[in-house]
Amino acid sequence: MARVSNTPATRPNVIQSLIDGVDRYNPDNVSILEDYLATQCTNRECDAMANFAILKLYQFNTHLTNDQVVNNILVKALTTLPEPDFNLCLYLLNENMVGEEPVVRLVALQDLIEQARYADFWKLYEGDDIYKELTAEVLGFEDAIRANIANAVAMTFQSIESANLKAYLNLDGQKFSDFVKAQGWTEANGVVSIPVNKDNEAKTTVLTENIKFEQLTKIIGHSNE
Amino acid sequence: MNDTEYDAEVDLVVSSYPIQDDLDEDLLAADQVPQQYQEVQIPEVVKNFILFFHRNILENNVYELQAIYEHSFNKLTEKFYAKESWPEPEAISPLVNDDQVFLTLYRELYYRHIYSRLTPTIEHRFHSYENYCDLFNYILNSEGPVALELPNQWLWDIIDEFIYQFQSFCNYRNRIKNKTEEELAFLRDNSQIWSCYSVLNVLYSLIQKSRITEQLLVSKNGGDMVEAAGEYGSRPLYKMLGYFSIVGLLRVHCLLGDFTLALKMMDNIELNKKQALFARVTACHVTTYYYVGFAYMMMRRYADAIKAFSHILVFINRTKQYHTRSYQHDQINKKGDQMYALLTMCVTLCPTRLDENIHSQLREKYAEQSNKLSKPEEAMAVFEELFQFACPKFISPNGPNLDDPEVMNLTPFEPIQHYTKIFMAEVRHSILLPTLRSYLKLYTTMGNEKLASFLEIKPEELRQLLMMAKIRSRQIKWVSGTLLEGEYQGTSDLDFCLKEDMIHIAESKVGRRYGDWFLRNINKFQDILGGLELTTKA
Repeated sequence: MARVSNTPATRPNVIQSLIDGVDRYNPDNVSILEDYLATQCTNRECDAMANFAILKLYQFNTHLTNDQVVNNILVKALTTLPEPDFNLCLYLLNENMVGEEPVVRLVALQDLIEQARYADFWKLYEGDDIYKELTAEVLGFEDAIRANIANAVAMTFQSIESANLKAYLNLDGQKFSDFVKAQGWTEANGVVSIPVNKDNEAKTTVLTENIKFEQLTKIIGHSNE
Repeated sequence: MNDTEYDAEVDLVVSSYPIQDDLDEDLLAADQVPQQYQEVQIPEVVKNFILFFHRNILENNVYELQAIYEHSFNKLTEKFYAKESWPEPEAISPLVNDDQVFLTLYRELYYRHIYSRLTPTIEHRFHSYENYCDLFNYILNSEGPVALELPNQWLWDIIDEFIYQFQSFCNYRNRIKNKTEEELAFLRDNSQIWSCYSVLNVLYSLIQKSRITEQLLVSKNGGDMVEAAGEYGSRPLYKMLGYFSIVGLLRVHCLLGDFTLALKMMDNIELNKKQALFARVTACHVTTYYYVGFAYMMMRRYADAIKAFSHILVFINRTKQYHTRSYQHDQINKKGDQMYALLTMCVTLCPTRLDENIHSQLREKYAEQSNKLSKPEEAMAVFEELFQFACPKFISPNGPNLDDPEVMNLTPFEPIQHYTKIFMAEVRHSILLPTLRSYLKLYTTMGNEKLASFLEIKPEELRQLLMMAKIRSRQIKWVSGTLLEGEYQGTSDLDFCLKEDMIHIAESKVGRRYGDWFLRNINKFQDILGGLELTTKA
């Protein structure tokens, strides 16, 4: 099973020691973390813990707040849905910021992704250039969203009508075929088949008990007498 | 930042007293008369109590101090000070030869009593803060470790109260509508008092001074404890204050809405270890699990939240007969009720089989709410009600901008409303899931369209709902390591998949458990055999 430790392999040592210690509260360090965010944006990586540390500094020192940075952190958090990062960021913003235009727009996108309303998500996203502007600095935004949608589909479906999948992914024609192939899925007669995985097999299981060694110590002790 | 910088910060805060003392004089002038009056009024038993209390502080008699702290003080409070404050520290000063350390400790109780029984004024709030600075300054910045020893319960209460008063101050500062010009001027001129940075400074300084992190690492991985603890950390006062400060930070970060950082504070504390230090003080034990559970819930790790709440609620149930006599009985019960409320929400969001006892208690307390949560039309109101009842009292780290002339006309920022709103946006998506689940439980296969018509939604909406249900049924769950670590696991006993428009449903069942029965009877048999052998020998 996927193990989550909140420590991306690409996190530099300097960032690690910064967010582990009391230096994370030092406003002078905000630029180090902001630069690291910029690296994440170009390298298509995401380090939520480090980004929370930026928001923490903003929370304590409101005058430091850089709206573009907040925007990019939230866009990054959209790409990791259904991880809870996006809301965890919102909890760190103050009420005024949550009410502001760019954040409200990103929340609208989040709302649709969370509800698995993927076709509606693309409709909203493509419907106004403003969304592409908001997500412009996060390279690979669309690919990341698409990868997460593919993941949700592969968890739920063993086979799905191509028309539905096309709408979820917002892809068509050759691009769609390439994407399907890259996932290791196959398309035939308007239906895409997805290989069985641990999430989409829906097998009836009977949970049997495990006896732990500790439970037996007393009995084993007896046999030695 | 290193130690010295911290010390300097604490110093800085302390050195700003004289300025406030000047400011206070006018405001305090009115208090002078009752103070003199009270001096004459101290009853003989209270005088004797203070003498006895002082002697035991000087002798570091922790055993007596525990009785004084947990019983005598509360008894005398009931008898003489149920509705008024304890004698002014200045009034008892002659009784204790003006012993400043004792007076600082006495003030800690004096102000705490005002906070819990009366309404603290702005002067009380400021003076209490100064007193905490005095106390921590004495502990952290004396030459070498101080010889003082206090009962664990009191040490916990010091940290707990320090944070409570911080939180109380933040909420007080937020409500500027009814404040006088003087009070506003006070707040404007003393922005560092009860500031987030000063509070974090104290807690981190206690952690560093006590070398508690190093000590915890040694107790986890082995090594030389004496060396790890050092001169300060080997004394119980420092060690326990350091440890409680970790739990204090867990709480402060939850209050500030930083749930990952809150759990990160607990990196070196093993929650599942028997005889962990937090269990030495019941209130600390309960607080730890409440905030750990709450942080997990806000991170959508409902399975872990349920585990944390269940664990501590079982503990509270089991030890009921002991803590009914404790002065903290009411507080523990209230936290318990709040955790049942959080648990009710968590099991709705992530259906889980609970411990028998906990389940029946939950039904007793929240049966009605529990039923409503599974009905889409009623769920939202109940979620909101339960969340606001059970969540911590969130704070806004920065007060309103008092230099802004418009500030009086703005609606004050209410942190609880803000957090509720975000949380509600999240649960709003889930309100159809209980109904979906109840239908899925009835079938092994079912057409998408048919189920959609049962739910009165469009087939495409059902597909989306199913994908969302699927995603929600997989959560990060703690297996080993720090609290933030975990593995993706299925948390539902109900699983399904879609083959185009056909839903295939599978339910996991729990097999019969034999282990316990056999183990019990093998032991019983062994006892009988042992008994027989004894009789034949005799």
